[in-house]
Amino acid sequence: MTEVLDTIGQRVTRLEGKDKASGRAQYTDDMTLPGMLYGAITGSPHAHARILSYDISAALEVPGVKAIITGDDYDWFRSGGHVKDETLLAKGKVRYIGEPVAAVAARTQKAAEEAARLIQVEYEELEAVLSIDDAMNPDLPIIHEEFSTYQMKVTDLEVSGNECWATSAEEGDIDAAWAECDAVVEETFETQAQHHLYLEPASALVDVDANGKVTIWGPNQGVHFIQTRVADYLGLPLTKVRAISPTVGGGFGGRAGPHVQPITAALALKTGKPVKITLSRAMDFETCRSRHPSRVRMKIGAKKDGTFVAQEAELLFDGGSFMDETPAVASFGLMMARGPYRIPNFRGSARAFYTNKLRAGSFRGFGNPQTTIARECLIDRLAQALDLSPMAVRQKNAMVAGDKWLGGQEVPACGFAQCLEEVKKAADLDKAQLPPPAPGKKRGFGFSGFAHISSFLASGASVQLREDGTITMNTGGIEIGQGASTILAQICAEALKLPIEDINITEPDTDTTPYNYKSVGSRTTYTTGRAVKAAAEDVADQIIEHAAAMLDCDPAQLTLISGGQVGVKADVTDSPLVNRTITFKEASLRAHYGVGGPIIGTHTFVFDGPPFDREGSKMKAVVFGNMGAYIYGVQGAAVDVDEVTGQVEVVKAWAAADVGRAINPTNIEGQIQGGFAQGMGYALFEEMVWDNGRLVNPTLMEYKVPGVKEVPKVQTIIVEDPEPGGPFGAKGVGEPAMVGVAPAIANAIDDAIGDRPNSLPMTPEKVLDVLDPS
Amino acid sequence: MKIHKPATLQEAAGLLAADDSAQCIAGGATLVAMMNSGVVEPSALISLANISGLNEVTKASDGSVIIGAATKHKTVAAFDSFSGAQNIVGIAAGKIAHPPIRNMGTIGGSVAVGDPAADYPTALLAAEATFEIVGPAGSRSIPADEFFDGFLSTALAEAELVQSIQLPAGPENAVAVYDKIAKIDGDIAIMSVAVVMASSGDRCDYLRVAVGGCGPTPYRVAEAEVKFINGDLDVAIELLVAASDPMSDVRGSADYRRKVLPRVLRRALITAQQMGGGE
Repeated sequence: MTEVLDTIGQRVTRLEGKDKASGRAQYTDDMTLPGMLYGAITGSPHAHARILSYDISAALEVPGVKAIITGDDYDWFRSGGHVKDETLLAKGKVRYIGEPVAAVAARTQKAAEEAARLIQVEYEELEAVLSIDDAMNPDLPIIHEEFSTYQMKVTDLEVSGNECWATSAEEGDIDAAWAECDAVVEETFETQAQHHLYLEPASALVDVDANGKVTIWGPNQGVHFIQTRVADYLGLPLTKVRAISPTVGGGFGGRAGPHVQPITAALALKTGKPVKITLSRAMDFETCRSRHPSRVRMKIGAKKDGTFVAQEAELLFDGGSFMDETPAVASFGLMMARGPYRIPNFRGSARAFYTNKLRAGSFRGFGNPQTTIARECLIDRLAQALDLSPMAVRQKNAMVAGDKWLGGQEVPACGFAQCLEEVKKAADLDKAQLPPPAPGKKRGFGFSGFAHISSFLASGASVQLREDGTITMNTGGIEIGQGASTILAQICAEALKLPIEDINITEPDTDTTPYNYKSVGSRTTYTTGRAVKAAAEDVADQIIEHAAAMLDCDPAQLTLISGGQVGVKADVTDSPLVNRTITFKEASLRAHYGVGGPIIGTHTFVFDGPPFDREGSKMKAVVFGNMGAYIYGVQGAAVDVDEVTGQVEVVKAWAAADVGRAINPTNIEGQIQGGFAQGMGYALFEEMVWDNGRLVNPTLMEYKVPGVKEVPKVQTIIVEDPEPGGPFGAKGVGEPAMVGVAPAIANAIDDAIGDRPNSLPMTPEKVLDVLDPS
Repeated sequence: MKIHKPATLQEAAGLLAADDSAQCIAGGATLVAMMNSGVVEPSALISLANISGLNEVTKASDGSVIIGAATKHKTVAAFDSFSGAQNIVGIAAGKIAHPPIRNMGTIGGSVAVGDPAADYPTALLAAEATFEIVGPAGSRSIPADEFFDGFLSTALAEAELVQSIQLPAGPENAVAVYDKIAKIDGDIAIMSVAVVMASSGDRCDYLRVAVGGCGPTPYRVAEAEVKFINGDLDVAIELLVAASDPMSDVRGSADYRRKVLPRVLRRALITAQQMGGGE
């Protein structure tokens, strides 16, 4: 039995929803400052070239131009996540088409854009490296010649040429294990670059004061991260950089790193005036980030009864022109390769490569979708080889609480088996009830199992009791549309037994907000939420101490009562205090004006799960020391394949998520449904296509995502297996919501027509080639 | 930018003749997107909003239907007096993009772009439409198969505008099938097939098949239509496929278009037969 709570588990309406729905919400491009200038960027026309010279004379003649910057204006301040390989503007070389080489600040947008067009750059073209195969070709040029001089945090990295990361892990005795298998399946899968397609294109507004301190507004997934990265790019101390989060129009990992903030800040510093840059949709596509294209070879073996024995995984990632989050994506993809299954013998590696394309970076799923499609499609193949049901094979091998994750961490809770059972039940029911497919169409059902994490690195929170007994909560949890503000407020309200209306949420601002790594990795509910809960409990303890002093009793006799009061505990029946209460307001006034000082609760921590057993699991160049609060899910899809055209229609979907504890079921359902839509785009429609280094579909006219007519009814199933350490047992759901969609659809296509494409997206063309290979 | 609001088409044609980088605007569904992406940078816009009679659909006594050039897609899609063969145009209109675009875009603007993958051109070809054109030198009419004369090109000369499109009555009992293959609902077609078929008894005696998105213009093959009427479905499809000249773009490869074309043709023709077009 889970404890009945006041606010946790309630379908609280999204706190920022009214502002967004009514158009009142202010996004960065809605904001202006007095004297503000407009910025524009000159992009590289070449995928790979040396910069020989700049000529800015014509651009400077444009009326209204206030400043022009090029790579020549800056010392070699390199920035980057795991490897510092990026500069503010291209310096010496350009490495992808669209890479910023110069920028302009002017009185009007038009003048800035005209000047940006007039900047002349002389290049010496180099041969471009455009794919993983190109990157492995020793005859092609090296993209980062100075790689060996770049700063990095990891010491056990061994790479050469255009290979930029190589990580591996091994458990058991894989070579001996294949002999024990009754069936072994092996295939190679290819996946594509996907764009985040947040609604708000990249935008930044930067102000600067007389002491040279810059203040940055812009869509982001972590103000502290933007602060450090901008400081890195510009060689500034953190005292001179302040980042504030305005309303953010979507993230999906796309705002996990900086976009135009560093260049905008450089222009503001150069002119001494506020500057704003907002990218067009096409420039956002060309210059921000994509999901990593990949090639994954995988091999799985099992005994006759379906028991998994061995798994081998070889992951190749196309990282694009700069490293960004590639080391973490490669590491994470590797650590997710085995998924939530018991497979005693495992060998895996992930290698990543520089190519002359847009950098690939953080994107919902973070290397996990690329490995999950391979594993889950092969599980179906293995079941077919053994004449077993794919669902039964998953159930047979499902990990349970107490099992160890790849890397040796014991998982304290695991609702995976229940997710499998619930989706199976729901799908079985629908199989009998769905109307039959139209003539000329074939129906198939497919499923996938998967897991993700919801904690790593550090978060803090501060919770302050105001004079009237209400709360101001301050965290670095960024509301990117995922519902973070509402969820964190619910956690805070619950811990203090206050109505949610009594929680005021501050705007994340590095000048005042406790550190938060980022709102990424499905970590906000578990990690930031845990900090909020502990900080709120700190406030509760202080309130109780005041109340005890006011009532002249032992604090141990007191407890919080719903609605902002303190009273005696239910088991204290014989005290004269039984009907006495102290309100939060009374305690707060005493603290403010009498004794002790205003009540502030704080908590910070860095994820304290067990570390990976790097030696035992032979882990090499894995960038995570630990991670955890594993989350589990199962997805299923029913598809109708058009035998004439190869088009795939998803007619129904089921998705179960083990969220530990559902803080807000409506929000979880929204995440699952939105994740399904994004996963369905990845499975069937979305692909960034480059022709000779040029992105050919950088607009919404050419880059298509599923719309209301394509996305089916997604039946959501919430499984609650409380996670020890999670706030009220809760953990995240954001990323896994998309991770299993593509393999579920692929397996459904396979079920319908007897085979499926081995590459994403599964376009009508690829499906028709399966139907009719002629 | 200067915006002109002429009261007559002749006046509009005069303005176009006087400024060769001016553009006409009605719904703006295509023009504004092209302006936003920098493909066209008109010196002036000539609004057709004040020209009367340009946005009506009327049925003439001879059974033909006349669609004014500035008629919105939603109006054509909702027009309930199409007969037989004319229905192909109404069906295609309802498949153009999404409601917001159908509420703005006009038939004249759509056909003047000359996009072989757009919905109207293919349907108008199957309906044997005639284009009434006004220019500085006066009026003329052109049949649909002459109007679409190349990729993103039409027979409109300098300063000429489409005034209206006339759909002949055609066989009263004809059925219409528009089979559009698109990546997602509302997208521009990868390819499309428009079929107009009529029969006497259970024998097909009238067929028009137009193929869109598989060459520089939508096209018909008269011989294929005859072969089908004579009962040779396979040869009819072969002839239509042989006339294709598809290209690759982000919506689909030339190979896919070549591969899917005979399959969609077969489906569309058989569907039309089953609807009563004749065995």
